[in-house]
Amino acid sequence: MKKSMVKTMAVVSAAAVMSTGFTVPVMADDPVEVTIWSPTDEPAIEEWWVQKIDEFNKAHEGEIVLSREAIVRADSYAYEDKVNAALTSNDLPDILYVDGPNIANYAANGVIVPIGDFFTEEDLSDFVDSIKVQGTYEDELYALGATESSVALFYNKDMLDEAGLTAPDKLEDAWTWSDFREAAEKLTKEGVTGTNIIMDQGEGLPYVLEQFWISNGTDFVSPEGDKADGYVNSEKGVEAAEFLNGLIQDGLADIDPIEKAFHNGKSATMLGGSWEVATLENEYPDLNWGVTYYPVADNDGINASPTGDWAACITKDADVEAAGEVMNFLMNQENVTTYAQAIAKLPTRVSSYDTLTEYDEYPRSLFKEQSMETGHPRPRTPSYTVLSPGFSEAMMNIFTGADVQEELDNLAADFDEDYEMNYAE
Amino acid sequence: MKTNGIKRKSEIKAAYLFVIPALVLLVAFLIVPALSTIRYAFTNYNIMRPDKIKFVGFENFIKLFSDDSFWQAVLNTFYFTVIVVPFQCILALGLALLISSRRRGVSIFRAAYFSPQVTSMVVIAILWTVLYNPNPDTGLLNAFLKSMGLNTSQFLNSPDTAMNSIIFMSAWQAAGYQMMIFLAGLQGIPGEQYEAASIDGAGKFKQFIYVTLPGLKNVIKYVIMITMIQAMKLFTQPYVMTKGGPQNSTRTLVYYIYEQGFQKRHFGYACTVAAVFFVIVITMSLSMKKIIKAD
Repeated sequence: MKKSMVKTMAVVSAAAVMSTGFTVPVMADDPVEVTIWSPTDEPAIEEWWVQKIDEFNKAHEGEIVLSREAIVRADSYAYEDKVNAALTSNDLPDILYVDGPNIANYAANGVIVPIGDFFTEEDLSDFVDSIKVQGTYEDELYALGATESSVALFYNKDMLDEAGLTAPDKLEDAWTWSDFREAAEKLTKEGVTGTNIIMDQGEGLPYVLEQFWISNGTDFVSPEGDKADGYVNSEKGVEAAEFLNGLIQDGLADIDPIEKAFHNGKSATMLGGSWEVATLENEYPDLNWGVTYYPVADNDGINASPTGDWAACITKDADVEAAGEVMNFLMNQENVTTYAQAIAKLPTRVSSYDTLTEYDEYPRSLFKEQSMETGHPRPRTPSYTVLSPGFSEAMMNIFTGADVQEELDNLAADFDEDYEMNYAE
Repeated sequence: MKTNGIKRKSEIKAAYLFVIPALVLLVAFLIVPALSTIRYAFTNYNIMRPDKIKFVGFENFIKLFSDDSFWQAVLNTFYFTVIVVPFQCILALGLALLISSRRRGVSIFRAAYFSPQVTSMVVIAILWTVLYNPNPDTGLLNAFLKSMGLNTSQFLNSPDTAMNSIIFMSAWQAAGYQMMIFLAGLQGIPGEQYEAASIDGAGKFKQFIYVTLPGLKNVIKYVIMITMIQAMKLFTQPYVMTKGGPQNSTRTLVYYIYEQGFQKRHFGYACTVAAVFFVIVITMSLSMKKIIKAD
């Protein structure tokens, strides 16, 4: 009797221990923890995060505890490496900021989940198309961001004047590649390169330079994102690469430009991001600069300019309800506006332009115009993870003397192999 | 007798206790990962899809043997090792000889030669990227070449010079450490031997050949061994400075593993390369040991 009682007690207590061990009882007032990963950014943005997280936590006291971890991005693929490492050890955050072109890859692999349900139709209609296109994979919305970006040709006014050049001020008159090259030739002198086409040797290369392919009537990959052969390495593509290579080989642009070469008068023009406007205004008040449209391919090329930016996603292991609440907060009208303002990038909500009236005036108006009229997001393909480093490598090889056709053929083959192996039905 | 046996037993027990921490760490951080690597080498593991790992037999290995990039990486790694090991060891020995004398102010040089060693390789690599910049307005080395009326070099931006540039800065960075080991070795050679040699009429050079070198024999063996193993693992410099380029010229085996596994996310294939790399390093270390023991 006694013995059996002890036995039952043991079983019961063991069961109790096990049940508490395996299913932690969720109390109604136990707050859910939501973590965000996003790249380390400029002080203004870091401050924005501190303020907004504080604001959110106060409004959701006892329900959700929001926190953010800033991850160093550097100018290579350090951020993506960190995410990949977290994937293998199941340490992903609930909300993950992802660079635009990587969204398709994470979506195709089930790392992130659709978020369309957290936003009303009406709310979504306030967002510019390019950010929704970037965040959509197989007809589902996976990511939304507060900012967009664009790239245009910055120029040193004094140097242009000296060379007797005037930069176009209408989209229709944008410089053709020949105009661009001619200007670079005239502007190159001792200690100054005519232009700067290398933003960085990582994602900066495909981000800025893909437009040369698009403008010339092709692209990196097919519209479906499943094939690179016949696109990046097509005749038109090779032409684009050869044009860019000519700038480097003829000494009109540096292969390894120093940081802020344009800002310091070491290069007369640069293909620079919209965010440079704020940097130039605040930190280089003495530089007499202007900005003009992204160059267009000769013979009626297509007007094209880069778009895309980091966007927020919800990961597969997240508490979807709580994370959705956070997403809604991050992407509301006020926060999109203030975030875009702090980071000095284009906002993704059309209504934000009502507040950010600086975008009605040159030079910011030019970026707004490009973003709305000529913007092309990068390829939305899960194999972008192979395309991006592959393209950077191919271009650096070309710039150091490798055969253009051969390099682009190899890139196309690598991309197609990755797609076939991992994503083809 | 009996007490002796008990003592022995408890000694054995203690011995095991002492070994356990090291053993646990070794198993957790070396043996288990190594075994996992070999296991994954036979799968199509994509880092994004840990739920869809499929066994593919020798497919990865077959692919590996016809993979030009892999063979280029093998070649690059060996090239780096073969050049850097003697260069770095001779440099280290030279520095050690220079500062082994008890002249005043020598400790300043000792600290100076050793200081790159205590700085992070990433920091040094970034610094040297600037020094090597092909534009003489930016790159210090090219500015120097230009001011001397010499031709400037592309350094990291040419497939002909990139690896040599990395070799030079790596040797500069690491020689300080080997220098310290040589220095300790030099201090272990009894002064009487030099005295005796000089009485016998040996000059400085002969003293070096017949006294210093034999006295350093074991130290030299050790230094060559560790330098070689470190050289085989070259990663940080290409990662920071060249990303394996230009034109594959600085893509080493470890960099190739990283690139396949993390950038391209073909984790299974990366493990295959890692497994082959492991075999190469083990074979080299063992044969080195044999060669060194033989003499």
